[in-house]
Amino acid sequence: MKRTLQVLNELERGGVIERYAIGGAMGATFYVEPLLTFDLDVFVVLPQSAAGLLSLAPLYEALRARGYIEEGECVLIEGVPVQFLPAYNALLDEALREARETSYEDAPTRVVRAEHLIAICLQTGRDKDRERVRIFREQAELDMNFLAGVLQRHGLEGKWKQWTP
Amino acid sequence: MEAMDTLKPEIARLFVAKEARRHRLAALPFPEKVRAVVRLQEMAAPVMRARGRRVRVWKLDDRVA
Repeated sequence: MKRTLQVLNELERGGVIERYAIGGAMGATFYVEPLLTFDLDVFVVLPQSAAGLLSLAPLYEALRARGYIEEGECVLIEGVPVQFLPAYNALLDEALREARETSYEDAPTRVVRAEHLIAICLQTGRDKDRERVRIFREQAELDMNFLAGVLQRHGLEGKWKQWTP
Repeated sequence: MEAMDTLKPEIARLFVAKEARRHRLAALPFPEKVRAVVRLQEMAAPVMRARGRRVRVWKLDDRVA
């Protein structure tokens, strides 16, 4: 996975993506017990094209040029299927902006903050997201004031109350 | 399922130990957790494949064969 992250860093340095951060189950695993996943979910801020459109196509092209092939919704990068998810709303923009800088085996990387991962789960709203919120509450060290701000800014307080009776 | 306070002490102790183990796992360094996820993938992959799902166990650069 170190090489995978190095490739993501190269893409960021080269301007193919503006910024990235690990989310999904692997992002959650940073804060809680290891969770089974087969994909590395990576949130990305994409540069805008001249026409003002956001597209994953230039990213996929850059990866193809490096020899990385698509596998379903993922791109296989150095043995790890990576799913790129463009920041498509204000919550994801904020999550990417405020992602935590860390490193994996000397490779610098970013992971979405636990509080934002919770908010993303609330927004997504599937059964597995609800279960993940429960695990976060049990195991992660959360900044409850920060979480309250995120929930308030993104209109998720009602869902939080509904899911955490 | 019985509530924790009505369980036999032995069973309750097992649940407490299980919970403590999950908290210990949560406190592991990130690279160790990633290795644990890959071990989970190795265990789960045959079951997923038998259900018709295409899954791939991650290749970790730092793994010793």
